[in-house]
Amino acid sequence: MHILIVEDDEVARDYLAKALREAGHTVDVAGNGLEGLHMASSIAVDLAIVDRMLPKMDGLALVQSLRATGRKMPVLILSALGDVDDRITGLRAGGDDYLTKPYHMAELLARIDALARRGDTGNAEASTKLKLADLELDRMTRRVMRNGKKIELTAREFQLLEFMMRHSGQVVTRTMLLEGVWDYHFDPQTNVIDVHISRLRQAIDKDFDKPLLHTVRGAGYSLREDE
Amino acid sequence: MGPDQRFLGVLDTSPFRIAIVYSIVFAIGAAALIYAVDFAVSRVVDGSTDNLIEAEVQGLREQMLVLSRSDFIELVEQRSQDQDVRGAVYLMVDPQLRPVAGNVPAWPKIDTKEKWFLFKVAVPFGDETREHEMRARYFALPGGYQMLVGHDVQERQDVKSLMMRGLIAAVVLTLLLGLGGGFWMGRRILAQAGAISAVATQIMRGDLSQRLPVRDADDEINTLAREINTMLDKIEQLTLGMRTVLDSAAHDLRTPLNRLQASAEGAMSTLTHGSAERRVLEQVTVEVDRMRSTLDALLRIALAETGTVAREQVDLSELVGSVVELYAPVSEERGIALESSVAPGAHVLGNRQLLAQALANLLDNAIKFTPDGGHIRVALDGSGSAPQVIVEDNGPGIPADKREVVLGRRVRLDEARDFPGSGLGLSLVAAVTKLHGAHLVLDDAGPGLKVSLKF
Repeated sequence: MHILIVEDDEVARDYLAKALREAGHTVDVAGNGLEGLHMASSIAVDLAIVDRMLPKMDGLALVQSLRATGRKMPVLILSALGDVDDRITGLRAGGDDYLTKPYHMAELLARIDALARRGDTGNAEASTKLKLADLELDRMTRRVMRNGKKIELTAREFQLLEFMMRHSGQVVTRTMLLEGVWDYHFDPQTNVIDVHISRLRQAIDKDFDKPLLHTVRGAGYSLREDE
Repeated sequence: MGPDQRFLGVLDTSPFRIAIVYSIVFAIGAAALIYAVDFAVSRVVDGSTDNLIEAEVQGLREQMLVLSRSDFIELVEQRSQDQDVRGAVYLMVDPQLRPVAGNVPAWPKIDTKEKWFLFKVAVPFGDETREHEMRARYFALPGGYQMLVGHDVQERQDVKSLMMRGLIAAVVLTLLLGLGGGFWMGRRILAQAGAISAVATQIMRGDLSQRLPVRDADDEINTLAREINTMLDKIEQLTLGMRTVLDSAAHDLRTPLNRLQASAEGAMSTLTHGSAERRVLEQVTVEVDRMRSTLDALLRIALAETGTVAREQVDLSELVGSVVELYAPVSEERGIALESSVAPGAHVLGNRQLLAQALANLLDNAIKFTPDGGHIRVALDGSGSAPQVIVEDNGPGIPADKREVVLGRRVRLDEARDFPGSGLGLSLVAAVTKLHGAHLVLDDAGPGLKVSLKF
């Protein structure tokens, strides 16, 4: 994937570029908003990571200009402000996701992975049935079956599984779950998400040989077939 | 506001009340005026009529002494026919009260010993006859005969009643105009007040750029609105200044933390798992996380205190339910019974994220401090716009003399040193409560802590 990083903090930018290259992406960098806009408009970029506060052109203005000229690539906004309202303004300006500094690289990688695959999973989002190996989820009848056996879930467990299935094969972080399933944008001090996940795991994996819900150390969870 | 309420609203405005008071005062004044006019007119007109009658009586009495009865009768007849003396009436009756002479058909019933009285006589009026009122007096003639002398006062009565009707109509008209004017002014004031309170609501929702509507006039309301607008300008400048300080503080603290995190993670990726260097760097990232969560909490508290947060209608019932549901598995793992009763339909104007975090902090605290196997009760009472949220646990509670103190920033009681946390949980709850104009009360749950949020 071709990723453009628009970030004025050199230390953060260099590490980010290095980490993304190590993850197998092609990376271009820009140190200010104008340069970033120019590059985003002239190079075929698959995804852009844009800092919120940039010299010469503000990050939000950059995203707005991109959207105004019809550029639809996913944009992740990085912010050193990051609070309830800033997040909303960031997404309203045309950002697809919003991450507050300081962030863990694992969190950022999981999010750009999810953003990049958003296009692929467009069909999955529209279809009523989600399927992974022998696990099936029907959004219409709200039924979950594994290997032909019906699995009873609470409403929240169902939502949690639906979110995991829509991101199957990807790493899903705790904050992504909290945002995507609960619509909460804060970190609870207790590890509430882990307990919810372990309940879901009990329900879908306990009676079967092959576990589907995996813990990704230092990052979050992943719902996938292998291992 | 429905039409009925709007109508009733006008009745409550001060211009309408002033109009009512003025109308009542005016009506009392007008009634006094009518009475005075009536009294004065009666005195003048009655007085002149009485003088006329008195003179006539005097004349007849003198004639009575010198004339024979037949000549006197003739005199009375003559006077009765006299067209020059308009409105004068005469009647002479014999001892059996049978008319002998005069222009009145019958002796009226006189039920008074007063010498002056009023009676009615049918008088030709065009082709018809009309009852006219007469003012008269009578006196005795020799031989049991009696004489009545009177005067038509109907015209006077007509004028008087016409005047009365005119006056009453004027009073009624004035009252109607007064009330109508009051109603109109009340509606104007209400419209202005409505516009002002609509803007005030927007400002309370966090939109400080709103200003009160000002018309091109120098009346009290416009002057007041201008002054409030000037005040709002200053408040907006101040809060924007605070926001700017807050934003740059956030930026200046998050940027180096981000570099620290990036450098540590970058260096870690080159080191083997379990090496001493890697463990040090892992500890660095743990500390960065801790600083980040403290910074997040501090910034959110400061943000809540500036009051510049976007607000919307928040379904509090849904929110309390969802936060309880978020914590249910954790409390179950600890063997804590989490009991909740949530009244449906409770809404508040506020910030969903901040409210959610405040509620989460309360539950977090409750679970943290409640012993395994304890119980926590969450209740949302009352519906509509004045709900109350209660979170009650059976943990150690907070001593009465320290309840005020814990709401301050970064207070951790000695008793809580063994528990993890930044110590900002309750401070954030306090700031969010204040932002929403609610009251935060800490009570003894006997044993345990009972926290109430009264919106």
